[in-house]
Amino acid sequence: MSPDTAVAAAPAAVEVFAEEPRRGRVRTFLRRHPSIVLGGAILALMVAIAILAPYLWTTDPQALAPRLRVRPPSAEFWFGTDMLGRDIYSRVLYGTRVSLIVGFSVALLASLAGLAIGLISGFIRLADGIIMRVMDGLMSIPPILLAIALMAATRGSVENVIIAITIAEIPRVSRLVRGVVLSLREQPYVEAAIAAGTTTPRIIIRHILPNTLAPLTVQATYICASAMITEAILSFIGAGTPPIIPSWGNIMAEGRALWQVAPYIVFFPAVFLSLTVLSVNLLGDGLRDALDPRMAKRV
Amino acid sequence: MLAYVVRRVLATIPVMLVVAFVVFSMLMLAPGDPAAVIAGDQATPQDVERIRQALGLDRPFFVQFADFLWRLVHLDLGTSIFTNLPVTHMIAQRIEPTLALMVLTIVLAVSVAVPLGVVAAWKAGSWIDRGVMLFAVFGFSVPVFVVGYLLAYFVALEWELLPVQGYTPLSQGFLPFLENLILPAIALGTVYIALIARITRATMLEVLAQDYIRTARAKGLGTRPILFLHALKNAAVPISTVVGIGIALLIGGAVVTESVFAIPGLGRLTVDAILRRDYPVIQGVVLLFSFVYVLINLLIDLLYTLFDPRIRY
Amino acid sequence: MRRRDFLGATVAGAAALAAPAVHGQASAARVLRIVPQANLTSLDPIWTTATITRTHAYLVYDTLVGMDSSFQPRPQMAEGWTIEDDGKVYTFTLREGLRFHNGEAVTARDVVASIKRWWARDGFGQEIAKRHASLVALDDRRLRLTLQKPFALTLKALGKANASPCFVMPESVANTDPHTQITSAIGSGPYRFVREEWNPGSRVVYARFEGYVPRQEPTDWTAGAKLANAERMEWHIIPDPATAGAALQSGEVDFWEIPLHDLLPVLRRNRNIEVVVRDPIGSVGMLRFNHLVPPFDNPALRRALMLAVDQENYLRAVVGDDPGMYATSYSFWSRGSPMHTEEGSEPLRVKSLERARAALREAGYAGQRVVQLHASDFPTLAALSQVTADLLRRLEINLEFVATDWGTVVQRRASREPIERGGWNIFHTTWSGPDWFDPASTLAMRANGTGAWFGWPTSERMEALREQWFEAPNQAEQKRIATEIQREAFRVVPHIPLGHFLSPSAHRRNVTGVIKSPIVLFYNMGKSA
Repeated sequence: MSPDTAVAAAPAAVEVFAEEPRRGRVRTFLRRHPSIVLGGAILALMVAIAILAPYLWTTDPQALAPRLRVRPPSAEFWFGTDMLGRDIYSRVLYGTRVSLIVGFSVALLASLAGLAIGLISGFIRLADGIIMRVMDGLMSIPPILLAIALMAATRGSVENVIIAITIAEIPRVSRLVRGVVLSLREQPYVEAAIAAGTTTPRIIIRHILPNTLAPLTVQATYICASAMITEAILSFIGAGTPPIIPSWGNIMAEGRALWQVAPYIVFFPAVFLSLTVLSVNLLGDGLRDALDPRMAKRV
Repeated sequence: MLAYVVRRVLATIPVMLVVAFVVFSMLMLAPGDPAAVIAGDQATPQDVERIRQALGLDRPFFVQFADFLWRLVHLDLGTSIFTNLPVTHMIAQRIEPTLALMVLTIVLAVSVAVPLGVVAAWKAGSWIDRGVMLFAVFGFSVPVFVVGYLLAYFVALEWELLPVQGYTPLSQGFLPFLENLILPAIALGTVYIALIARITRATMLEVLAQDYIRTARAKGLGTRPILFLHALKNAAVPISTVVGIGIALLIGGAVVTESVFAIPGLGRLTVDAILRRDYPVIQGVVLLFSFVYVLINLLIDLLYTLFDPRIRY
Repeated sequence: MRRRDFLGATVAGAAALAAPAVHGQASAARVLRIVPQANLTSLDPIWTTATITRTHAYLVYDTLVGMDSSFQPRPQMAEGWTIEDDGKVYTFTLREGLRFHNGEAVTARDVVASIKRWWARDGFGQEIAKRHASLVALDDRRLRLTLQKPFALTLKALGKANASPCFVMPESVANTDPHTQITSAIGSGPYRFVREEWNPGSRVVYARFEGYVPRQEPTDWTAGAKLANAERMEWHIIPDPATAGAALQSGEVDFWEIPLHDLLPVLRRNRNIEVVVRDPIGSVGMLRFNHLVPPFDNPALRRALMLAVDQENYLRAVVGDDPGMYATSYSFWSRGSPMHTEEGSEPLRVKSLERARAALREAGYAGQRVVQLHASDFPTLAALSQVTADLLRRLEINLEFVATDWGTVVQRRASREPIERGGWNIFHTTWSGPDWFDPASTLAMRANGTGAWFGWPTSERMEALREQWFEAPNQAEQKRIATEIQREAFRVVPHIPLGHFLSPSAHRRNVTGVIKSPIVLFYNMGKSA
């Protein structure tokens, strides 16, 4: 669900951000990019919640208490209880872990795989044709649908959800990297390096990677946001993480039947999910502005 | 020009082949045995084996794939495991609501998002601009089913303005048809509006900075003709590209939206099929959606030449 | 006043245009819109035991023998019967004027073929099959069943209303291999299946069959008159309970077969909606073991787990806080059955994790993996299953929780392989009360090893007692034997009974003729304008 498929995929981010902000400029940098501060702060809070979940007055998020089911928020159950009497507060807090793990893992795996494929495709002409046909094919299956179809073919587990969403995201990253590689190869200094007999790995490390990193980071944040939403959607329609795992999508899926009588079951995970995705999106927007002034002007 | 069109059309063939291959191998990877499902509650292993042979599931992978393609060319998507009906028949029954929902959402989204984006670009930095951008970020962050349930809860249940669920075919009157689709279209359209508004704003910013706009302004042309005649016309290519690519978002969202609003379309069919592991149906729907998606983007590509005479091939 | 009506009145005069409007309203009143409990996926009531298919079949097909509210067999398609030769020869005569939906007359040959297909699959039917000498059509309207020795339950079997009743189909359809699904839906019942409008997963449509001649007696479950009071019946399949509830509240549908219990208070508050307990016996929940694979092939472990089970936890997970909606039942027979008894049920009343832990240790449980199958798409089953998962976790049992859909559970529970090769140890399901009525109807109480229902328990004693039960001369003797079977069952533990819960229906107030019965019957229902 990256908002900038079209823009980010274009090899725009080429002449790069040579001057990194010096340490003294950190404060100015942050002031100039409030969305990084806001997004980063919310995200840091979520990470803290995920790590500290057991110490934040939570109980066992899986413990059932059918005699205390569907209780509204109270002093005892801060976010209420669900249809099996589980404490929603604890489930939502532990759910942060699932959402962040899925988001971060997919962003990382899709970036690495996309980087590898994009590099191969950009440097090995022979492979390029085949790889790009395959990527075109994968890209013409709408990502959520592809993830759904992959989940239908396997068993519901967090690992499988990560793999399914990653596969659905790889083509876009590969295209991005390939675009950067192809346009850099045209650059006189890279051409010169090639002519001078510099080995390919060296060219990749010296010239390609530094220039890919910025657009890739921006893309990765969007993939992270998109993966968290996709995970929720998968769980919501029953094709995601197994119901025993307290993920936000699962809590909402179980609560949606009671939307009318117990809206809090859906409300709290929905707020946490939206907030987390928002923070990652803000971070992405901010990073893009900061890392690529040319793109920033555009979007 | 014609050569380009032919080349571009031919290029979709390998793409569709890859799609077909991915979709086909999905069935092969899947756990569980379709033959066992078909055989039913109290079947013996012999029954299952008989059915497996009847379905040709005991043949080598590539033989089965070739057979799959052959049937595909003849518009045969197989038979649903659970209803025993041809998948094409089930898709045909479900296609109208989804098509209607998609078209309505695209019309709604484009007619809301493009003006929003244009105004935001024109008043760049103003509160309108900030508002549009804020809406865009939120649009990307709130999942479609949350928007859907919020709308259903307030607009339909609390205020009783529109029906909560269901679908009325167009043949039973335009108004009832629209009444049922308007909430789903808004829910589904939120992300899409955010996407188009953002791209419109970005492209417009770029276009508005161009020399000829400055010239037009200097000539004393009014705001409206500049924005909507000159600038928007030149921004049309990137905007329509995103409209086309964004349809992937709509397709994914439709699956969820149709479940929330009980619309008997292809999305609901997909969700039901997934819960029941009805692979032929899943394959059929994924193939169809992908085909439509490729086709739309192909058309948009070809339409560029109309939008932008500078593009030559 | 609607704008359309207003325009009509002013422009062309009220009389001329009022007529179609009135007609429109009347026809809306004759269409009954039902949200059934599940999607109709199979049209063959003999091939599958799915309740929704049986509900479909009771609209479309008729039965030779019906069952009344005192569980007695009564003639339905049969005008009557004679029993001769000390109960060995049954001669049935069909009513006059019976027709299939394709216009052809129902003949005795159709009935014979239908019975033969039925008794190839149905467990109770098989009891007749193995005792029969011949089953023939004497002429168009008479058929004769000859037994090798008397079987007192013959009529009860033919009139059974729980899983796989003996529905009558045209001979050509009934000749289909019993293991192959039929796709036809031509019966002689009060409603006709409208195939053109069938949209699987969304809509099923039935139209009144004008050629149906109901019996003269008042409606009494599947006996007596079957009336097609609604001209047209539409099933709207809405898997999301929240959406279904909203549709009922806004009047977009008329009848919701099984509303989610938690939504009942909201529905009761609505003046236009009535919540009815259609089935006073309710459903029973079951935790089923696989008796073929370790660790629960060990009866001591099954008994140990039973010590930890607290039925109330399961029941409240399903129905919530309303005590009127559930009842514990420490019995392998359902409440409401003359066989129901709680004798021998002490282990199920212990409800102690401590005792269970001790018993598990004693039985030699040493951390073996346990595979539990879980269906996420049925709220009731999901609740039962999650309570067990929680219990196993607290008992520190090494649990692998396999969450899928019901369709996959149905498929996987058929596997007798060890768990390393796709097998399983535990799954949950529910039955309607009559499915646990007595040894004849209770599929899950067979204990003939691989011939038994999924889980395949083995107990020679249970099987021997079951044979005795069929031959019992009277109900007192039947009850004595059923009690013996139960005592043995508490030792063998084929499954753990989880108690009874009611599943009320909700409908708009103008819906009439709802049949109160443990079998879901949609005929007779209509709508007042």
